Formats: sequence, C-alpha cells, structure tokens
Amino acid sequence: MAILGPSGCGKTMTLKCIAGLMTPDQGKIVLNEQALFDSQQKINLPARQRKIGFLFQNYALFPHLTVHENIAFGIRQLPVAQRNERVQQLLGKMRLDRFGHRYPVELSGGQQQRVALARALAPEPEVLLLDEPFSALDTQVKERLEAELLEIQSEFQGHVLFVTHNLAEAYRLSSKMAVYETGGLLQWGERNTIIECPANKTVARITGMENIFDGIVSGIEGSRVDIRLGAGYLSLCPDSLNGLVVNQEISAAIRPEYVKLADSQGENCLTAELVEGKEELSFYSYTFQLQGKTNVKAHISKSTGLRLETGKIYHLYLPPQNLVIIGE
Amino acid sequence: MAVMDLNPLWISLKTALVATAITFILGIIVARWMARCEFKGKSLLDGIFILPLVLPPTVVGFILLWFLGRNGWLGSFFFEIGRPVVFSWSATVIAAAVVSFPLMYQTARGAFEQIDANIEDAARTLGASEGTVFWRITIPMAWPGIAAGTILAFARSLGEFGATLMLAGNIPGRTQTIPVAIYFLVEGGKQQQALIWVLVILLISFVSIVTLNYWKKYQRRFSRHPVREVTADS
Repeated sequence: MAILGPSGCGKTMTLKCIAGLMTPDQGKIVLNEQALFDSQQKINLPARQRKIGFLFQNYALFPHLTVHENIAFGIRQLPVAQRNERVQQLLGKMRLDRFGHRYPVELSGGQQQRVALARALAPEPEVLLLDEPFSALDTQVKERLEAELLEIQSEFQGHVLFVTHNLAEAYRLSSKMAVYETGGLLQWGERNTIIECPANKTVARITGMENIFDGIVSGIEGSRVDIRLGAGYLSLCPDSLNGLVVNQEISAAIRPEYVKLADSQGENCLTAELVEGKEELSFYSYTFQLQGKTNVKAHISKSTGLRLETGKIYHLYLPPQNLVIIGE
Repeated sequence: MAVMDLNPLWISLKTALVATAITFILGIIVARWMARCEFKGKSLLDGIFILPLVLPPTVVGFILLWFLGRNGWLGSFFFEIGRPVVFSWSATVIAAAVVSFPLMYQTARGAFEQIDANIEDAARTLGASEGTVFWRITIPMAWPGIAAGTILAFARSLGEFGATLMLAGNIPGRTQTIPVAIYFLVEGGKQQQALIWVLVILLISFVSIVTLNYWKKYQRRFSRHPVREVTADS
C-alpha cells in the first residue's frame, strides 16, 4: 500500500507513529490484531517490540559499522553461525556479496539503499515501512530498485507500506493507495478506484485528474445524467445515481489522457480555444480554454501525429464512460 | 643543583587524571541530555555550563570558595564532618574539574548533536533498547568528539592555576601543582627550576595535542576512504 501526498502533509509522521518513533496525541494503531498504540487504554509499545522494519529516506545506515555489521544489527540475539548465514543470504539477494566488509560511505546511493533494505528485512518484520524510498536516486538506479522492491514485496510475508509524493511511483508499486493532505487522510482504497473515482476535488488534483467542471444536473434518464455547464452539455453514466436530483449543483471530472479531439460538434463535445501547448516525453500537453474561462487539459499521444496551433478553435470529445462525478 | 622535588608532577598528574575522569562522566551525561531534550531555560542552563570557560579563573576560585569555604553553603557541611575542602588535595581536583568541564561538555554536545536522530531511531526499530542504542550507536558515533573533549579537558586541568591557588592554596606536597610551583619559584627568583617545570608542562601538553590529532585521524576510520561509486554493480 502507498501513502500519497504533498511534502509536509504528515506522511512521514504517520510512518513514525506506526513504528513507535513518535507518539500520536490520540487514536489507535493495530497490527495483526495486536494493539501497538491505544490512547484510551494507554497502550504504547516501544519501537523495539513492534517488529516493524523501517527504511529511512536518508537510509540512516550506521556509519561506524560495516555493511555486514549493519545488516546483522537487528539479529544480534541469534547465534553467530545462524546470524552470518542470514546476512550472507540477504547480501546475495541484494547483490551486495562483495561489499560485506565495506563501510556505508564507500557505497553508491543505490547500494546504500539496498543495505538499508537488507538491514530492515533481517529480523523478518511483520510490516515494512518505506519512507520516500526513491526520492534521492537517479532514474536508472530508481527503475532497477523499483523492480527489486516489487520482487521483494512478492516474497515478503508481511505488509509493505510506503510513502511518496510521486503519483506514478505510488501507482506502479502498490495495489492500494491512501491520499493525504496536511495531516488528514482524504481517501483510501484500490489504486484504480482512487485514480478513476477520486472522492473529492483535492484527491482529484493530487491524483492528476486535472479537468474539473462545475455544473448543474439538467436531466436524469435511466442511468444517464446530463449536466449543464457554462460552455455546453455533458452526459455521463455514473455507477450509482446516489440521490442525484435535477438542478443540483455538481462537479464532473475527467483525466487529461481521456480527452479526445473531435472533427465536429456533437454529443459530449465542447468547443474551446487552444491557449498553450507543451511537449512532454511521450505526449503533447495542450491547455484549452472554454467559454467562461474554464481550462481543459488534454494529453494527446505523439503517435497520432497531431500538432495543434495555439489560438485556434477545436472541438473536444469527453467520453461519457471516462467522466466521473466528484464531491467537494 | 639539588635533587628536585618531584611532588608537583605527581600532584598535577593525579589531579588532572581524576578531574578528567569526573568531567568525562559528567560531561557526557549532561551533554547527551542537553543535546536531546528540549525545555524552557535550556540556553540559560547552557550558559551556566559554559561560564567557567570564559570567566577569569580567580572569579571561578572566588565563587568556589563562597560555596566550599568554611562558612560556605556546602563547605560548612564538609567542615562539620571533619573533612574541610579548602586547602586540601580534593580542592585541586574540584578547581580543575570545574574549569575543564565546559570543554568536555561543549565538545561532546557538538558530537551528539551531529548524530542524525534517524540513525538512533533505525536502531530502535531493529529491536535495540535505549541502553543498546547509547552504547552501540551513540557513543561510537560521537567518540571522536568525546575523545577530543577528554584530551582538551585533561590539558586544561593540568594547566589550571588561578582557581586552584584560591581554593587549594600552595601547600608543597599536598596542593602544590606544577603551575602553582612555577609561579612561586619565579617569585622566589628560582628561574632555573621554574624552567624545568615549564618544559615538563610544554612536553605533556604538546604530547596531548599531538595525540589528539592522530586520534582524530584514526577515528575517521569510517570516512577514511573517499566516497566512490562502484561501477561494476549498480
């Protein structure tokens, strides 16, 4: 599971509370039916008894110990032979066999991170917490580590919880997501639910659902809802009508990658002027302006070969199946 | 030249060693506490701990006399039990410990504050008790700073003069340390003998500082090698 949210919103603090490194003001932390913290029952298990592996953003390796000693630190209580065997096994898994005798400063960033991961895994924790695990690494190292992390995740018996401010990273690496903003949980659930059906506008913005239209319900027919906007009409088919009534104020949203260009005016089409075009790595990012100054962003794949001109008027098609209704 | 009285050397060494042992333990405890705790009036307390470093030693001596003198707040107690502090050997130790404490405290505190709190937290998540964290992580990581503070404190204890003279006086064979002996030898016109003691102090202090420098180099064990990327892997 991933915790997604902007910097300084309390993601790291959440992890530290779970690990027992910080004490929350109130609430409950339960792991596999064992209460780690409960403000009402005055339970607060110290970090050392929680069996939680923590990968720090800056790795926090012990600089005065070798790689081998770092990994062995969490399994000090094991007999020497068993301990060495476990360390060797982890070194092999992390492709660090040749580095056991080195000190952390002698390793590259990616290697340091693998040591930190091995050290956290050594005592076989029930949960592994990863705090922004890839933020300090360059793209190539990052891709490789992501692949490794997915592999470890599949072998690992416990839960993996990781914190990031990068949406794509959160999506790639976990099946469930929690969206945070300034100390509060906004939504959590399956990653596709979060991406396709954000619970509110803030979640929509954080998850990149950039096009949000405010309008009024103008008609309900069967499962189909018509919405009147300042610049036209949109129809969509929500999963449930959920007490929607005609004339209700409502917001509809669509991700920029679902917005298409249409040849002519038609159903679910809006007419707009192109105000800005940016070239991204694999698509063009166009910003259109509707009547009434609402912006619409569209990501048009480069494979279409389309290049649009700013200042010109275009027709945009918003497929009903990709439009969702979102709350405040 | 007559056979030299070696007593000042033994008294000085004994005093400096005991005073350093006291500041070593107290300094580490206080420094660790000040480095990790936040409370009101912390900078005021910090100022009090540093004060002996900047005050004239005679002022420190005066204040110590005020506390430990026969009519002093603590001194009267020791006088009652028949062990007056003033003009005793323990007075030389107290004076040396008080003036050398700030050096130990400040250096150790700096060393503790430089430790990334995440590293200690990492040890906690790996099942380490507070004692284990302290002995296996904090102390080894702060060790270069602690060692430097210890040597500085030792050198300072050895050179203590003003407060020692005020609190312990100049009793040959009991409280007369090398610096005090030098002063009275020069005053008595015995330049030659004074010079010998000057050379002894120079030698001990110089050896201490050189040891400190080598120690620092040795203790940088874990950053001895330049950071380098290992390209074969990763």
